Amino acid sequence: MADLLKEIEAQIAGAKATTAKQNVGVIREIGDGVAKIEGLNDAMLNEMIDLGKGVTGLALNLDETEVGVVILGDYTKLKEGDEVRTTGKLLQVPVGKGLLGRVVNILGEPVDGKGPIKSDKAYPAEKTAPGIIRRRSVSQPVQTGIMPIDAMIPIGRGQRELIIGDRATGKTTICIDTIISQARLNKAAEVAGDKDYRPLYCIYVAIGQKQSTIARVIAVLEEAGAMPYTIIVASPASDSAANQYLVPFAGAAMGEWFMDNGMDALIVYDDLTKQAVAYRQVSLLLKRPSGREAFPGDVFYLHSRLLERAARVGEKYGNGSLTAMPIIETQSGDVSAYIPTNVISITDGQIFLETDLFYQGVRPAINVGISVSRVGSAAQVKAMKQVAGKLKGELAQFRELAAFAQFGSDLDAKTQAQIDRGKRIMEIFKQAQYNPIPVEIQVVVIWTVQNGYVDQVPVARVKEFQNKLTEYFTTRKGQLLAKIGREKALSDELKAELKVAADDFKQTWQ
Amino acid sequence: MKITKRAKRDAKYLFRVCLVKGLLDESRVRQVAQHLAASGERNSPSILAHFLRLVKLDCARHTAAIESATPLPPDLRAVIQNGLEHRYGPGLTIIFAHSPELIGGIRIQVGSDVYDGSVRAGLEALEKSF
Repeated sequence: MADLLKEIEAQIAGAKATTAKQNVGVIREIGDGVAKIEGLNDAMLNEMIDLGKGVTGLALNLDETEVGVVILGDYTKLKEGDEVRTTGKLLQVPVGKGLLGRVVNILGEPVDGKGPIKSDKAYPAEKTAPGIIRRRSVSQPVQTGIMPIDAMIPIGRGQRELIIGDRATGKTTICIDTIISQARLNKAAEVAGDKDYRPLYCIYVAIGQKQSTIARVIAVLEEAGAMPYTIIVASPASDSAANQYLVPFAGAAMGEWFMDNGMDALIVYDDLTKQAVAYRQVSLLLKRPSGREAFPGDVFYLHSRLLERAARVGEKYGNGSLTAMPIIETQSGDVSAYIPTNVISITDGQIFLETDLFYQGVRPAINVGISVSRVGSAAQVKAMKQVAGKLKGELAQFRELAAFAQFGSDLDAKTQAQIDRGKRIMEIFKQAQYNPIPVEIQVVVIWTVQNGYVDQVPVARVKEFQNKLTEYFTTRKGQLLAKIGREKALSDELKAELKVAADDFKQTWQ
Repeated sequence: MKITKRAKRDAKYLFRVCLVKGLLDESRVRQVAQHLAASGERNSPSILAHFLRLVKLDCARHTAAIESATPLPPDLRAVIQNGLEHRYGPGLTIIFAHSPELIGGIRIQVGSDVYDGSVRAGLEALEKSF
């Protein structure tokens, strides 16, 4: 005890009284999650404001006589006349591998009841995107495990690929499948001790969704064993509009940490339509002037500055990447609305999902004709490029001919063959949800289709043929699949082996 | 009362008219207020309301409230006054107040700037750090 007293005495003797300058203000008006504050002359844009009683806000409007603040918490605790102060800090979120496997809110606080998160680093939610010098072109693939995407609309690491479609067309499913596919690949590489494989970590940002929907997504990922490689950042529909507008930025900061540290990450924004609506709400409450569809003038900048943060950085800067998969929900397939056109123009391609296709049983309901990937083909696996290079053209021809054939006119043999092939390709591309297919299997299946092995199979039995073929190759030709996976290209030797195996299978198929 | 953009603009113009070398001139403020109150124009009340707000904010910017746990001796008051005038320029209205709840030390507020060297502030900071 005597030591402790001496220690305290020494500390008192050495203590220096310091008086720091603070900037304070007074709440003049409060309501709907927005406060108008008088004073705060030194407040900065996007600075966190300490509103007292454990509540923080974000300074969004700096006017001549007042500061407009959005409140990130329970604003019912606050009242007019309360003193507030600036913090000198921007909105920050914890980052790092400690967040993997966790469900967090906009501030990076756990909401999954699994205890505190181990993270000693924080990144600002708003950060300038990597500049031109730091970037390099996309060259590594993101294997989504969804055959039509990997074959015809390939996505590269660092790309921004938009998923767009009406409600209930399978937009989220595509992203979940991609996350599951990454988890499987990461796990397989870990088990095999493959040090060359770059694991792809995933961040799923749920914006304005029902809590039950988020719970379902978590359950699916847990069941598929994808959670250890995934972070879920959630701002459900019950959250304030300010939280819903800011949560994608928090998710992007978490993803950027992986990129800055030479790792690869994939971020899913589900969905940016709801974020734009939340931003419109905040802007209208802050009395900012509104424009088209009542969105504020800077709604394009809201999305562009968020999506620009997805990048592939050069070797000199760690060689990391952040791939973005934003989701946009359209109304009755109208892609010419304000937000869809904005995001289409920002991203490096889009995957269109159609309600009609969905109800025709084509699932995933991807309209291959108008879906495009502007940079991903450079990252596509060579073997896939070899087998699927002509697929998009063939399908386009098929659609044209099929429309013509509806008139019931007689068709020549070649046209009929093209239509038959097209029908079979369409069948091959149907895929069950949460069941990503490894790229080697995809290559084998597409190769067999392109080499006429499916032409004699009735359309109704194509799926059965595909399943049996997959089973045959995985159980009996594992080495051949491993060779395709390793070499990533179809050499003449491999093609010959494939031919022997496919002939062998064809003989057993009934 | 809804204050329109035009009323705000007019109030701001009148406020600028009341400034002499960057400081608010009391007699001009009085004149403007009397004129607006007597004019009877439809917009006058809203202009006057915003004008009043601008004047209030300017007063707060040029007022230094100095609180201390014990009354300050005149020489210390003079030192503080000189220091504040050096930092914020002339035309500062200085108000000294006695606030025992500070426990010890001084708290100075000029506009939205606060220099809190009181014991109470120190204890509050300590409480937050726990």
